[in-house]
Amino acid sequence: MRRVLGVVGLLLLWEGLAAWGLLNPLYAPPPHQVLLTLYGLFQSGEILPHLQATFTAALLGLFWGVLLGGSLGLLAAFSPLFADMLEPIMLLLNAIPRVILAPLFVIWLGIGLASKVALSLVLVSVLLFFAVYGGVRNVDPRLVERVETLGGGRLWLLKEVYLPSLAAWVLSSLKVAVGFAFTGAVVGEFVAASRGLGYLLSFAQSTYNAKLSLALITLIVLFVLLLFFLFDRLERHLLRWRPRGRAESQA
Amino acid sequence: MLRVENLTLGYGGVPVLEGVSLGVGEGEFVSLVGPSGSGKSTLLRAVAGLVRPRAGAIHRAFPPEALGFLFQEDALLPWRTARENAALGLRIRGWPKAKALEEAEAWLLRLGLQGLGDRYPHELSGGQRKRVALAQVLALRPRLLLMDEPFSSLDAILRTGVTRDLLRLVEGEGIAVLLVTHDLEEALALSDRVYLLSQGPRARIAKEYAVPFSRPRDPVGVRSDPRFGPLLRRLWQDLEEVALCAAS
Repeated sequence: MRRVLGVVGLLLLWEGLAAWGLLNPLYAPPPHQVLLTLYGLFQSGEILPHLQATFTAALLGLFWGVLLGGSLGLLAAFSPLFADMLEPIMLLLNAIPRVILAPLFVIWLGIGLASKVALSLVLVSVLLFFAVYGGVRNVDPRLVERVETLGGGRLWLLKEVYLPSLAAWVLSSLKVAVGFAFTGAVVGEFVAASRGLGYLLSFAQSTYNAKLSLALITLIVLFVLLLFFLFDRLERHLLRWRPRGRAESQA
Repeated sequence: MLRVENLTLGYGGVPVLEGVSLGVGEGEFVSLVGPSGSGKSTLLRAVAGLVRPRAGAIHRAFPPEALGFLFQEDALLPWRTARENAALGLRIRGWPKAKALEEAEAWLLRLGLQGLGDRYPHELSGGQRKRVALAQVLALRPRLLLMDEPFSSLDAILRTGVTRDLLRLVEGEGIAVLLVTHDLEEALALSDRVYLLSQGPRARIAKEYAVPFSRPRDPVGVRSDPRFGPLLRRLWQDLEEVALCAAS
């Protein structure tokens, strides 16, 4: 509740300063104007193809990135050979700001959807790789021993111990991954595109349109918050076995 | 049904245990006691097949599936309910899910956990978790149960309750038990035979005691038997002697 109050307070202050003429509306248009612009974008329907482009890129990048990063993480966790080969590459990719790859992807894959998906995918998969790789290493060895003494082989270990124990790690990084997926898509569009929210943002910048810029930022924030909320519900459902206190303190 | 002959255990250097021989008969309750560092747990893990012996042999007159384990940590899967945890061993043995859960529920009942099958481990008390772990093992109908300080994390009251239920089921099903414990009283109250290990390294069997109390037995009531006190005193003296020998 207090967090909501903070945001509302900031917006009211902003609105007030603008009304008193202390803020230049060209640079910092008051919130109500941003909302009107946003409303206008939907009213005219001109936002829809852009929205669709960004969403497609972000969700495809998220999906394939989770799949790729997750499976590479599992491979590395269970095979020392893969671990030795993959870890340096991933560490390198993790160390650099991965958005600098955006221009390269445009050269390789063109200005269409593929280069945005690729950037999203790289951002997400490195994150997931480390979540899964680290998650497997943090599995409780007593549980492994228990399943083994009951006669369970690798498949049982994976199903009963590794995957559920990973779920906790992966689900919390999934929320971060959602943000990353949108970063990838929008930055990709920012660099070179003919459609998408990132393209609109770069258009707003070149026409000095702060109102449009803020409207788009608001839109992206709202969508990411929505996805956050959905993943939170999923997390609560999948991790219902966790003690209440811990689940709440993490939420 | 279990014979351990001239067993030597340990990694590199001086062995923890050397030339240990012991046996467990059909349906017999046997305890291993000894000072800390006598390699009791290592011995149990060797019988379980988790540790490779350096010398000697372990003969088992039963298939490996007939061996059940209960170690100090309860290690229930936190993401599975009590019933699912109890059914885990059966599921691994290839039972269909519905049948395994039904059988697991029956064992939960036998261990006094009616109505708790749907709870997750964190919603159970320490004693209840131990009972679930016990149900998980007993559901597999072992012929020999290996236990390493299984109830040491419980307080005295809970411990007595779980131990009493364990003894009732083990006697009823004719399951043989090899128990590692540091509690001499518990060893006497439960066992038919007690082995005392000497101080390690190079620990060996120092003494063997036949426990005369009849079965079925009440692990609390048996302590007021007139033969209980003297036997316990002898066990204590021998244990102290063994520990002192090593110190000098």
